[in-house]
Amino acid sequence: MIINILFIIFVGMAWGITVGAGYVAFLTVFGIIPRLTQLTKTVSKIHAYEWAAVFGAITGTLAFLQQPTFALPSFLLTVLGLADGIYVGMLAAALTEVLDVFPLLAKRIGIDDRLLILMMALVFGKIIGSLFHWIYFIP
Amino acid sequence: MKTRLLGSVKFMAETIYIRMRHRIQKKSNDVIYLRDLAQVIASDTYMSKLNNLCLYHITEQDKNIIIIDSTRVIRIITSEFKEVEVQLIGPAQTIIEVVFKKKKLSLPLFILVWFLLFIGSGLTIMNFHEDVSMQAVHQRLYTMITGKEVEKPLMFQIPYSIGLGLGMVIFFNHVFKKRLNEEPSPLEVEVFNYQQSLDQYVIMHENKESMKNLDDH
Repeated sequence: MIINILFIIFVGMAWGITVGAGYVAFLTVFGIIPRLTQLTKTVSKIHAYEWAAVFGAITGTLAFLQQPTFALPSFLLTVLGLADGIYVGMLAAALTEVLDVFPLLAKRIGIDDRLLILMMALVFGKIIGSLFHWIYFIP
Repeated sequence: MKTRLLGSVKFMAETIYIRMRHRIQKKSNDVIYLRDLAQVIASDTYMSKLNNLCLYHITEQDKNIIIIDSTRVIRIITSEFKEVEVQLIGPAQTIIEVVFKKKKLSLPLFILVWFLLFIGSGLTIMNFHEDVSMQAVHQRLYTMITGKEVEKPLMFQIPYSIGLGLGMVIFFNHVFKKRLNEEPSPLEVEVFNYQQSLDQYVIMHENKESMKNLDDH
């Protein structure tokens, strides 16, 4: 019995470590934290940002394993939603950059000067696509 | 002793410094002068003659990339002016981009690409939401915070959608024409890197002086 429990604890730990390491690797490839420190000129605070990501991951895990419910006002969701959106948006932008879509496209069709307008196509596509999905697409 | 010193001063070679430009654009059938190809430092007696020194004539046979190696430039200068010494500073070659016709992007094509990106981007985000069951996650989050159950937690989802666009803009460091700070955006750096790699490639592959194959005689 005790061996079973110890084994389960071990497997759980191993699983968590792998997933956690994978998550950090994923964040590193996209380079969102360096990008944000560069924009806000707060490179010295980078360790605090690392801990923010770690605590965020732990909080999220606990919240979805324990399923607590609170009776808080619903406007808080607006703030959460905006933060969630910005984060996913940065992931999406980082993904396009990692995949080198734009340099190729710009070179092929010769539009080095209108990159910004093309980028806005992606941005508006994301916003409209997302709104369409939530408001009309889901029955 | 004195005369020998004077003599050496008399025959001391004049030094000309040239710095090859990295990349220039020229039309077909243009003549390329030294002043197009390089920045030159020389005394006034040589300057005007050097500036109008003809180095290459672009013909119909040339492709759209020509590489002029610095060895060719130095050879022509020294054969023209026997008494000068040429010092090269900076890049060892210049890439000439032959522009046949001013490439103008047609508006319909641009609009097509724009809508391609717009629709593609919108559909991929919908696929992503479905893929990670985001609707269920949002519903559970809504219940967790407010204690109520809803079918469509739009209170959360509309700010989320706006944030999505905002996050992309923040990452690319652009709010329409206005920049968030002075640094170049990752996209501009990407385009620059890509151009650098292309230049590096043509320098190696189009420059006949830098590669020697077995069958070259």
